[in-house]
Amino acid sequence: MTTENAYLLFDVPGGRLSFGDGELDVWAEHLTWCYRMMGVADGATIAVQDFGSSPISFLGSSLLMPGLPPGVAERINGRFICLDASQERVTLSPALLSQLAVDVLVIRDDVIDLMVAELRKKGFAELARRTTKTIVVFGDQRTAPNPDRAEPWRRLMHVESALLLAPECAQCGCFHLHHGFYEVDGRRIRNLRLNVPPYDLRSGELLAPVGCAAGYGDWRIQLPIRPKGA
Amino acid sequence: MVEATSTYAGRDEIEALSGARLTAWQHERLREVTDHAYKHVPFYRELWEAAGIGEDAPSSLEDFERFPIIAKDDLIRAGNRWTNPRQGPVAFSTRGTSGDPLLVWLSAEEEETYIPPTMRGFRWAGFRPGMTALLMSPVWHRLAACEAHAIARLGGRCAFFWGSMGPEYLDSFLHSLSSVRPEFVTTTAPFLLSLIRRSTNTTIAPDEILRGVRSVVVVGLPLTPRMREFLRDRLQVDDVFERGGTQEGAALDECQWHTAPHVHEDVCYLEVVDDSGVPVAPGVRGRLIVTKLSAAGSIFVRYDTGDFAAFAPGECPCECGFRRLKIYGRPESSVVVADRRITAYDVRICIEEDADLVGRNVLLIREAGSPAGLLTVAIEGGAQHEAELKARLRQRLGVDTVRIVWLGDLRVNWGFRQVVDSREIRSAGS
Repeated sequence: MTTENAYLLFDVPGGRLSFGDGELDVWAEHLTWCYRMMGVADGATIAVQDFGSSPISFLGSSLLMPGLPPGVAERINGRFICLDASQERVTLSPALLSQLAVDVLVIRDDVIDLMVAELRKKGFAELARRTTKTIVVFGDQRTAPNPDRAEPWRRLMHVESALLLAPECAQCGCFHLHHGFYEVDGRRIRNLRLNVPPYDLRSGELLAPVGCAAGYGDWRIQLPIRPKGA
Repeated sequence: MVEATSTYAGRDEIEALSGARLTAWQHERLREVTDHAYKHVPFYRELWEAAGIGEDAPSSLEDFERFPIIAKDDLIRAGNRWTNPRQGPVAFSTRGTSGDPLLVWLSAEEEETYIPPTMRGFRWAGFRPGMTALLMSPVWHRLAACEAHAIARLGGRCAFFWGSMGPEYLDSFLHSLSSVRPEFVTTTAPFLLSLIRRSTNTTIAPDEILRGVRSVVVVGLPLTPRMREFLRDRLQVDDVFERGGTQEGAALDECQWHTAPHVHEDVCYLEVVDDSGVPVAPGVRGRLIVTKLSAAGSIFVRYDTGDFAAFAPGECPCECGFRRLKIYGRPESSVVVADRRITAYDVRICIEEDADLVGRNVLLIREAGSPAGLLTVAIEGGAQHEAELKARLRQRLGVDTVRIVWLGDLRVNWGFRQVVDSREIRSAGS
């Protein structure tokens, strides 16, 4: 599906995201809301290890995309480190993390094991643990949990083709669907702000609004990935 | 080729400057940058004070040669003393091909200075309003981040494929090509070569892959003349342009004459020097030294990128006053055989004299304990005219012995590498 007069086209797994004039703004605001919901503070330095056509990357700053007046970095008055998620680039990240105090590392679920292995290989594990909180981004192709992997600080559910961004709430441990952005019908989640196909939830439970003080109007997804409130 | 009359439509003011006027303009920019760095970046102040360079220098471009040349390790060691108060909110990583990667910062102010040369380069390459461009990832390189802004300002549409520049993303790239149908593509040469090679095993003919594409702009590998012809002919595009640049601020684009990429003199001041730091004449290879002509973002003043480069002698028929520079490689993309440095570019030039070998990916092999005087080259695909090729490599490159490893269909992640360790080839083949 495409937006009329779209001038930015991003191919993502299973679909395409198309944006016209002014349409990125609302998504940068939404992603900023996600970060705040997960507990990322204003002024934070956020490093994102993802591909360039992922909204988590291209919404990071107005410097990355035309038609995006403030990106996430500008909205939180923070800094944004671009780390491509290719295997070659992931291996460089430990050395970069050692050069700079990164508050939050946002990393795709499918490359985190490679990152952890590199950190161990280079002896940076302690350094990374000390300075950086980790947000793991996962989608509906989530890989099996690795028992050797330390628990991340937070998780962010991201289904690219539906532009579904659901942050793990620091209060209730569920994944919030921001009120006004998504509509729930059975297990089907429909994006209200962008012309994309709906997403059918594969696992977990959808909890009706009015259950969490962090977002009274939000539907929430409860996933069996770690104990509630962990 | 793109029509000669259309390339310079909308020539900007700085392009028209040449000779003394351009020199004076650049000197002013250098003064702004060094003045800011002296006052606000402790690393540079300490460095220059130790070298006896005062706050009012440089008095001329010649005087600028007194400034010490710096390297990546100096900046990594400097840590926060290299921080520029105007460095901006977004950082990119260098590729780390020569040790640890470096974080390079970009600010909105600096990006504004780099978007016009990007637009200029794209105009030279034939981009026109209304076209759709399939671009490289904006998070991949500081210069790539400027590309989408440039396309939007030129009145075009931007498209991005999913993934990165490794061969595992070829399908994704192909999907975007066939569904977006762009007229303009920016990518890397190894990626295009992998695409062509892959198409030989499918029903898609190479000339179908880029159907409708008029211009391809490639980075990451210095194009040889035959490689350009090969890409243009096999992919049936109007023209292929080389774009060059470094995270540290060098920015170059080819015009339609392909005489060597023009330096965007409004954003960077480039020098080529010998091992003792003395400038070399045009046509002579030396070390590339970059100074970014913006006081915003990370500041680079006389930074040794590690690249080997040469200014092209003479004038370009396009009449643009900007100098032309070819970047040939780096220590990591070359090998030393019996005290002689050989770049992958030099080897490709020899290999491509054989028409049957044009368009194959080529790697130089570094092998621990190999005999002095031995050059080992890995070539994609099956063996072809090996004896003649060995003789040609020996003669042209002045080496005693040449060993060729034919890679057949071995899957290698070419990326931007031009040199690999022999163990990697062995493990890929096992």
